[in-house]
Amino acid sequence: MKNFDRIAIVFAAASLCLAQSPAPVAGQELSADAKSKAAAEARAKRNAQAFENRATVIAFYDRSGKRVGSVGERALYDETILSPDRKRVAVVKEDLANESADLWVMDAATGATTRLTTSARTEFVMGPVWSPDGSRLAYVTILAGQEGIYVRAANGQGTAELLYKNPGAFLNLSDWSSDGRFLSFAKSDLSGGTLFTLPLVGGGERKPVEIFHSDLRMFGPRFSPDGRFLSYIVLDKANRGEVFVRPVDAAGGGPWQISDGSFSMAFWRRDGKELYYLARDQSVMVAEVSTSPSFSFTKPKVLFRQPSAVPDRMAYVSADGERFLALPPPRGPQLQQITIFDREGKVVKKVGEPGRYSQPSFSPDAARLLVMKGDLQTGQQDLWTIDIATGQSVRITDSTLPKVNPTWSPDGKHILYVSMRDGDWPVYRRAADGTGGEELLFRYTPGAGVGLTDISRDGKLLVCESGGVILAVPLTESDPLARKAIETLREEFDDSLGRLSPDGKFMAFRSDEAQPERFEVYVRPLDASTGMVGDAKWQASKDGVNGMLHWRGDGQEIFFRGMDLNTNELHVMSVEVSTTPTFRAGTPKLLFKLPGPQGGNLGNISRDGQRFVFAVNVPAANGER
Amino acid sequence: MTAVFDFNDRVTLTGTLTKIDWRNPHTYMTVEVKGADGGMETWMIEGPPPSFFRIRDLGKADFEGTIGKTVKVELSRARDKSRSGLIRMLTLPTGKVVSACPQNC
Repeated sequence: MKNFDRIAIVFAAASLCLAQSPAPVAGQELSADAKSKAAAEARAKRNAQAFENRATVIAFYDRSGKRVGSVGERALYDETILSPDRKRVAVVKEDLANESADLWVMDAATGATTRLTTSARTEFVMGPVWSPDGSRLAYVTILAGQEGIYVRAANGQGTAELLYKNPGAFLNLSDWSSDGRFLSFAKSDLSGGTLFTLPLVGGGERKPVEIFHSDLRMFGPRFSPDGRFLSYIVLDKANRGEVFVRPVDAAGGGPWQISDGSFSMAFWRRDGKELYYLARDQSVMVAEVSTSPSFSFTKPKVLFRQPSAVPDRMAYVSADGERFLALPPPRGPQLQQITIFDREGKVVKKVGEPGRYSQPSFSPDAARLLVMKGDLQTGQQDLWTIDIATGQSVRITDSTLPKVNPTWSPDGKHILYVSMRDGDWPVYRRAADGTGGEELLFRYTPGAGVGLTDISRDGKLLVCESGGVILAVPLTESDPLARKAIETLREEFDDSLGRLSPDGKFMAFRSDEAQPERFEVYVRPLDASTGMVGDAKWQASKDGVNGMLHWRGDGQEIFFRGMDLNTNELHVMSVEVSTTPTFRAGTPKLLFKLPGPQGGNLGNISRDGQRFVFAVNVPAANGER
Repeated sequence: MTAVFDFNDRVTLTGTLTKIDWRNPHTYMTVEVKGADGGMETWMIEGPPPSFFRIRDLGKADFEGTIGKTVKVELSRARDKSRSGLIRMLTLPTGKVVSACPQNC
């Protein structure tokens, strides 16, 4: 959390009839140099697209919520911190080509910038904080594999000084005390979080002072202006953030919970009388506070709320509480219209009104849709089903816990999904009519991320993925905790999106075998009784695959999302295939294109291969929430 | 990773690479190191996934070709004090240095 927030081999040998037997992997004919060059070119194009899709400017709001200006060139801003006099903004900008991020100081009036750091590839800067007099910036960076807190002059002159060598990584530096004597930071991992202060005065090696440890993750400790208290964010087991305040001295009482749902760390006004944070609905909240003689606060109230359903992302509050720095959505505020297309890319039906939708997928009978829907008021993401004919929707989940990979059971009676719980990613299911409770289906190795990509037609085998490994999970054991994953495909390449053929005898998947960071569709025979793939292998795509891998219900066609690295368009691709007597693939062909950026997921093609559903971006008008 | 490896307990080893397991989700290297008592110690070292090395133009064949040769590894040692750790920095016989930070730091 930073600031206010925080992808045969019969490469289808040209024709179906030529593709009789496994053939070498496309790309092996290329020399190592040619492969390396091709990979670099593809990476550059991906970076250009990513920049177009994510770059934004910096905007300012006043206390009434009125946008009063913007500054800076379009860039990928990770962090944006106003100087104490709010005349400058310390910004951390990403450099996609170098896989790094560096610290710059921007003039808030003119946008002129001064570069403070130049990171090596894959190294980066984070957590800049201004000195109280605005003359220096402290920040966290990694130099030659060693993370540390450094400080240097804000005008870019002189050299950086190491303040503290961190033995670990991902130190969350978040403030510099008003008297200049301390920095504050947090460290959090799966075991919990700890708040620290770092004394800057005195001789000898600087040693952090532990203020408080919790088995919950904590971020963003910030000093009250008198230095006696720290505000900070606690993330509970359900991933909900709350603002707390506690004394730096453990004997000082507290802690006090300020917020009722927070989306950001807190910011003290310079006089210590107001504390600001972002509510879950992205309203800017203010609590009147006092730190003398002890800490007290009033119930927070809404200072202002942006009218748009897709508000600018608030990132920082000036020390005088008069300016609120925000990052507008890169392509303007957008909602999503659930839209069904035919094979020619013609719109067949728009379902419901625009909203915050993602990951739409057809039920097996193509009568309903499963969608992830974000509440326009609270931002909470939940699974819903929608009857396509009537538009009637049924809520499936109701929780703040992250949920991914929504999947229909083969009979359409259940919804399967993965949801984070205490750092694990178990697979659950619920009835598709919204009744009953949640049922655990499978829990993988603790701490390892897992994705659900398919379930067999007989409902007896899950296909999952974790860290480039494709897993088969037989659901034969009645005790979900006794169910074990089989490593179906574990190799040196990144394999993902395992998708079973309708007859269960083959698995299509995505792999970067031919070229790093460039994925193609491959098919291998599968022995469902063992969960293992056979040796044969066929390539079913040729120009790169982004996802959306899907078998037609009769097993005669595979669909996938192609790539166009020169434009942002989504290419819906199809390849005719046969699985008897063995696998054969034809030549991939383009069905239609959609303007990008545009998502696509694993269930968004009807079983008969005639309908395609997408959450299409549309402009969001003010007041839509 | 922090549950298994202690980022505060760093060890630098120079020894002979004797074995690799080059599969997702993590790579493993076995390094034979001469111990303080003159005897040989076997260290099991976990590294980033193969793709981490591939995008740095280092494939499985490069590491297979290094078997039997000397490597230098800086690692974060396992909390159970076994002869195992997580790679921070790796120096190959060619002199090429690979940093696994920040992911592994």
